[in-house]
Amino acid sequence: MSRRWYEAGPLPAAHTTRRRDTRLTILASLAAAGGLWLLQAFAGGYVVHMTCVAALFAVLAVSYNLINGVAGQFSLEPNAFVACGAYVTALLTLSPAEKAASFILEPIIWPLSVISIPLLPALLIAGLLTALMGFLMGFPVFRVRGDYLAIVTLGFGEVIRVVANNAQAVTNGPLGLKGIPHLTDLWWTGGLLALTLFIIVRLVNSSYGRALKAVREDEVAAEAMGINAFWHKMLAFTTSAFFEGVAGGLLAHLITTISPSLFTFFLTFNLLIIIVVGGLGSNTGAFLAALLFTYGGEWLRVVEEPLNLFGLHIPGIPGMRMVFFSLILVAVMIFMRQGLLGRREFSWRWLWAVLDQRRP
Amino acid sequence: MSGRVLLEAAGLTCRFGGLLAVDGLDFSLASGELAGLIGPNGAGKTTCFNLFTGRVRPTAGQVSFAERPILGLRPSRINQMGLARTFQNIRLFDELSVLENVLVGFHGRLQASFLSAILRLPGYRAEEERMFARAAELLELVGLERLADERAGSLAYGQQRLLEIARALATGPRLLLLDEPAAGMNPQETAHLADLVRRLRDRMGLTILLIEHDMRFVMNLCERLTVLDQGRVIAQGAPREVQQDPAVIRAYLGPGEPVRPGQGAGDA
Amino acid sequence: MDGAQLTQQIINGLTLGCLYGLIAIGYTLVYGILRLINFAHGDVLMVGCYMAWFGAVQFGLPWWAALMGSMLLTALLGVLIDQGAYRPLRRAPRISALITAIGVSFFLENLGLVVFGGRPKAFLRPEVFNHIYQWGSVRVLSLSVWTPIITGLILAGLLIIIYRTRLGMAMRALSRDLVTVRLMGIDTNRVVAATFAIGSALAAAGGVLWAMKYPQINPLMGVLPGLKAFVAAVLGGIGNVAGAMIGGLLLGLAEILLVAWLPELAGYRDALAFVLLIGILLFKPTGIIGEELPE
Repeated sequence: MSRRWYEAGPLPAAHTTRRRDTRLTILASLAAAGGLWLLQAFAGGYVVHMTCVAALFAVLAVSYNLINGVAGQFSLEPNAFVACGAYVTALLTLSPAEKAASFILEPIIWPLSVISIPLLPALLIAGLLTALMGFLMGFPVFRVRGDYLAIVTLGFGEVIRVVANNAQAVTNGPLGLKGIPHLTDLWWTGGLLALTLFIIVRLVNSSYGRALKAVREDEVAAEAMGINAFWHKMLAFTTSAFFEGVAGGLLAHLITTISPSLFTFFLTFNLLIIIVVGGLGSNTGAFLAALLFTYGGEWLRVVEEPLNLFGLHIPGIPGMRMVFFSLILVAVMIFMRQGLLGRREFSWRWLWAVLDQRRP
Repeated sequence: MSGRVLLEAAGLTCRFGGLLAVDGLDFSLASGELAGLIGPNGAGKTTCFNLFTGRVRPTAGQVSFAERPILGLRPSRINQMGLARTFQNIRLFDELSVLENVLVGFHGRLQASFLSAILRLPGYRAEEERMFARAAELLELVGLERLADERAGSLAYGQQRLLEIARALATGPRLLLLDEPAAGMNPQETAHLADLVRRLRDRMGLTILLIEHDMRFVMNLCERLTVLDQGRVIAQGAPREVQQDPAVIRAYLGPGEPVRPGQGAGDA
Repeated sequence: MDGAQLTQQIINGLTLGCLYGLIAIGYTLVYGILRLINFAHGDVLMVGCYMAWFGAVQFGLPWWAALMGSMLLTALLGVLIDQGAYRPLRRAPRISALITAIGVSFFLENLGLVVFGGRPKAFLRPEVFNHIYQWGSVRVLSLSVWTPIITGLILAGLLIIIYRTRLGMAMRALSRDLVTVRLMGIDTNRVVAATFAIGSALAAAGGVLWAMKYPQINPLMGVLPGLKAFVAAVLGGIGNVAGAMIGGLLLGLAEILLVAWLPELAGYRDALAFVLLIGILLFKPTGIIGEELPE
């Protein structure tokens, strides 16, 4: 028999270079860890804080992209998942004394009033509970499609907020939770980011990831090819809920005070901008856009601060950043619907090819 | 050649609002058959396929596959039982590569769990190796091996139809339903397709039911034809018999000049 | 609860329902034609309220003139949004248009915060709407009596436009089949623009009545009424004007009666709409008088 296509050409490259790629990935991870160590050791608190926020946004964006971009189910619920994770983790780590002191509207209910556990198990429980919430939500939610899906998931976000405001014996209502220990550091956020990227990138590149993309491209055809669209959507939704819940937990332990007003649709909107600008469906895009958004957002603060330009006084306009961000979202949709990366992904093979071309 | 009954429909009726798309259809297909479903436009042929594969629920009637009732099952479940199809208005996963389209077909029968796939456990890795090798064979079978890395949406029309067949084959069917596989193909491609379909039946032992408007293709290929008109079976039998049937001629051409379907009704 | 209280609550519920209905019609008209959830609809309402506020407070206009002016300017805003943001995406996937609509919504809210400031502004009720009618032991604010009347008048005007004018005919045709109508040589873009104008004007009317009911306005005031009105539109069967009104009335009544009968659940009132939405999509996705399935 003559040579088959998989004996030459692009695909075998993927097979034989897998070992090289793994090594490069490990090397890059070590380099990133070294970078974190340097930051931790030498950078100021503000830079460290921003980097933690950026990493958490990257986690949220990559998980949100799994359901919206990869599986193509346009939904608007991350604020609900983040809120769930943040509340659960904080309630588990806060000390009984702190809880007793801050629950002034109604005393906190029994088991929660005495529980206080370390961060790691708290995060795990939060992730699992959020995943369970996503799983239960999925049953009604995935009976509808398209813009109805968007509205129903948005509705769930609102319901969670209303519950957080009203279930005072658990959430302390509008007052929220204060005095959450500041446990989140670069290692926690960096570690979560690495884990999220590892699992979600592998998921997307596996047979399950192909099935999700098939559901995105054409649900009817995917069903006809033996893919149970409902369960695969559930899979993506639950996975994304898990990571968003854990990220919410770390967020709570970064900012140390949470209240329902923190988890409005506004949070989802920010994540939506990130994944749309990065290119719906691209993990690399979601990751890069999250960094761009966090650091760029800081940089954009310039427009909100008063400015003296050659003796000319320009007053700062608070709130102007969000006006910019909304305009960016609309402009991206109208002028470059593919975002920065479309559905392209970073790969070592691609980097290798670029370097090869540059070589004299 | 015919063995046991593989697909059977009894009293199948499907109504869309006021339109009776399929009206009390009785139909059966024996294992190993290569049969055709023909009829004028709007006769209800594609609706039959949609009913068999679970995409549309009938108003009344029964369908069973391999002696098990399949009514009310999800399309994915029916596919996993061994009933695969292609679509008249090609429905590939356009943004995925040709190879990925075929690989997706294997997913429904994947044994490895989600966790094993993420952790790339040996079980999953072995399965994936097999999937890739088998996909390569299937692409070679339909003659698309050189295009494996192309975007499916960028293929020519005829190639897309072939890819649909390869993707359906990847799901490991016993029965293959082909919805107008030759539509939009040139004569050479059509000949290649006829050859392929025959090989699928003869060498791979598949049962095949196809809808087609290209009468030469159908007459030469199928051993048995069922003619539908307005949702009802009006004739059934060997191609030559069916061709002579006055009811069939009337259905295709209306009452008037008696012309045989083989000459007149092309791919409308 | 005695009879008088019940009557009072039902009147309150109907008043609230009229507001939801007026806003819901805007969603339903646009969705019927473009299959787009105009996310920015609630924020258009907010702008309408500020227009009326400026008219009444800054320029000292009588309330009806301020209302008319605000409806006119808001109609213009609706058309601008459609032409600027949605029109370039007519042939794009529906999700792109939806994302754009979310962007426009946030743009209006944040621009509102920058321009009008975040502090709520008092929205004074004109004298006609601000006294109490009393029948026996039933006490009702005159606004609550006027709201259904004004809503009825506006609705009558709308129905005349839809069923008695060429524009209305084109709108109805368009909601059946956009492509065919375009092929028949009707300028679909003008009809779509007119639809946005009408929907936005109704939102302004609903918004001004809303602002008088809770007499203050702020840049985020449109979010919740907007979302709930959308739910009302789905409840009644989206794409159907009468359905939107009925859905609005039902939602208004349900909210008020929930609070009246189960005061301990009053805090959950804002979640009721979404619970209803999930229920309706699960059990009767076509809404109360809808015909076609969504998607």
